[in-house]
Amino acid sequence: MAVADPTLSPLHRLRRFDWSRTPLSLRIGGAILAVHLILAVIGPFVAPYGYAQMGAGIPLSGMSWTHPFGVDQLGRDIFSRVIYGGHIVILLSLCGTALGLVLGAILGLLSGYVGGWIDNLLQRLLEALISIPFLVLALLAIAAAGPEAAGDPVLVVFVVALVYAPRIARMARSAAIDIATRDFVTIARLRGESAWSVMRRELLPNATSVLLVEFALRAGYAPVLIGSLGFLGFGMRPPTPEWGLMIAENRALLIISPVTVLGPGLALASLVVGLNLFTEGFARILGRSVKLGTR
Amino acid sequence: MFFARGPIEDMQILRLVIERILLSLLTLLLVSLVIFFMLEILPGDVATRILGRDATPESLAALRAQLHLGDPALLRYATWLGNLLTGNLGHSLVSDRLITAILAPRIFNTVLLSIYAFLIYIPLTAIPAMIQAVRRDRAVDHGLSVVTLVLLSMPDFLLGTALLILFVIMVPILPAISLVDETSGAGEYIRAMTLPAVTLAIVMAVYAVRMLRDNLIEVLDSDYVRMAELKGLSPRRVLLRHALPNALVPTLNVTALNLAYLVGGVVVVEKIFGYPGFGSLLVDALQLRDLPLIEATIMIAASVYIVANLLADVGAILLNPRLRQG
Repeated sequence: MAVADPTLSPLHRLRRFDWSRTPLSLRIGGAILAVHLILAVIGPFVAPYGYAQMGAGIPLSGMSWTHPFGVDQLGRDIFSRVIYGGHIVILLSLCGTALGLVLGAILGLLSGYVGGWIDNLLQRLLEALISIPFLVLALLAIAAAGPEAAGDPVLVVFVVALVYAPRIARMARSAAIDIATRDFVTIARLRGESAWSVMRRELLPNATSVLLVEFALRAGYAPVLIGSLGFLGFGMRPPTPEWGLMIAENRALLIISPVTVLGPGLALASLVVGLNLFTEGFARILGRSVKLGTR
Repeated sequence: MFFARGPIEDMQILRLVIERILLSLLTLLLVSLVIFFMLEILPGDVATRILGRDATPESLAALRAQLHLGDPALLRYATWLGNLLTGNLGHSLVSDRLITAILAPRIFNTVLLSIYAFLIYIPLTAIPAMIQAVRRDRAVDHGLSVVTLVLLSMPDFLLGTALLILFVIMVPILPAISLVDETSGAGEYIRAMTLPAVTLAIVMAVYAVRMLRDNLIEVLDSDYVRMAELKGLSPRRVLLRHALPNALVPTLNVTALNLAYLVGGVVVVEKIFGYPGFGSLLVDALQLRDLPLIEATIMIAASVYIVANLLADVGAILLNPRLRQG
């Protein structure tokens, strides 16, 4: 087991890294993720056709060696589109989750450390944001942004951040409350350090493992959120090869060529399975347990 | 909740429950503030946001008058909240019908769908979990664990589309579009609701199976189950009458969380199958930028979510003696 010495700090445990002693879920998840990341990076160079290139094959002609995932109704090669989509989905997910993590960590740590009425007020507000089902909150934010911002990748990143920040803040806050009782925080406070600097120098380093696991967990669900938005027509706009949007586009002619949704479906499902397995194993190395599928 | 306890403890529980209810009401008020703020107060002209860039100045002015956009924001919020509390949700901007009249049949359809989904969800959770717990650490257990993990990572719109391909295109036994209205009979309703309900049930079940399995294993290892086995009771009776009820208690919390999931889940699932429920109404309202309808539906979705979480909390307080001290 990699979880050898509980007295070591989480980061030390990570540094003494030995692949052969890691949980199996981490290795399988890591392998799936590696394939996805490599494809996302080199995909645009190896894809046989362009993502918006029409006339790549006979529309809806089904599976073949030249078109492993078939051809959509506009004659675009779905295999190429899936490969092109990888970096969009991964980049949007990571940016959105990272922004949510930064906002959530700052809000949560400060709120937990400062306490008092500010903490109370902020908690009630975050609770209200969490009480709107996450997909509904995302749709609300997109409606608030108005029709001009629709389809903008920046909007999608902000929406993911808005959905995750309150949830991450809740975790960060309980970590901060726990850490704030330790002596080194009291000493820092007595030294006269400001709340901001206590947060940055005392709380943040000690909350890393909580925040890292939270980041991995949320990043694993971000592709689903982005895909759901695309599927409903409120996320990325055509001809972006975002997987959820592709499934929605090909659904209309599912009866003629059901294979058209196979490619984006497999890509999305395998990415999320990989991320979830990786998160589970990663959390175990850091000595934490995660509840996968937390919504 | 039926354990022996004194009146003082009862009072404590009552206080705790009332506290939770008040907090939920406060959250609900804040949710209304968030919705109103995001849709009507954020910088940018509301009328342009609804009608788009190419609207004529006259139509913009007419819409501004209809929505009382000239009034101060606080007054508009107070009026809106007052109307909401008295059940006066106003008229739809698109069809000019009363929002309550639009909502009623949609909510009815979604409630039916949810009940159907929960009926499928119960055996779909209990049976795999029992098999896994009884055959623990054998091939079946590991196999089902992998299946639940994969399904757990599967987005609901993907699962719905897969079921659609399976049962509509490959084995055509169910309708592709789940269109129903007041004239539809019970049989039509059941046919229309089956695929959406199964999709929702699977998503909810995979979340609960893993927890129920772990709880069952814990209970099966306990002394009173050993005792029941040693008394010579049949394994079936031990599992169903002695172990299962006790393992279900912690699962109740998950079930309430699943109810909360359902509120968001119906949005996607109803859209996949074209089922005319509450979720597809929200998507339609968003597409048509029907502001009063959007506000009403999101408010209702959040209320259901809050009530479901409240029930989970209160259930946990009543069922778990350790939480009673608060």
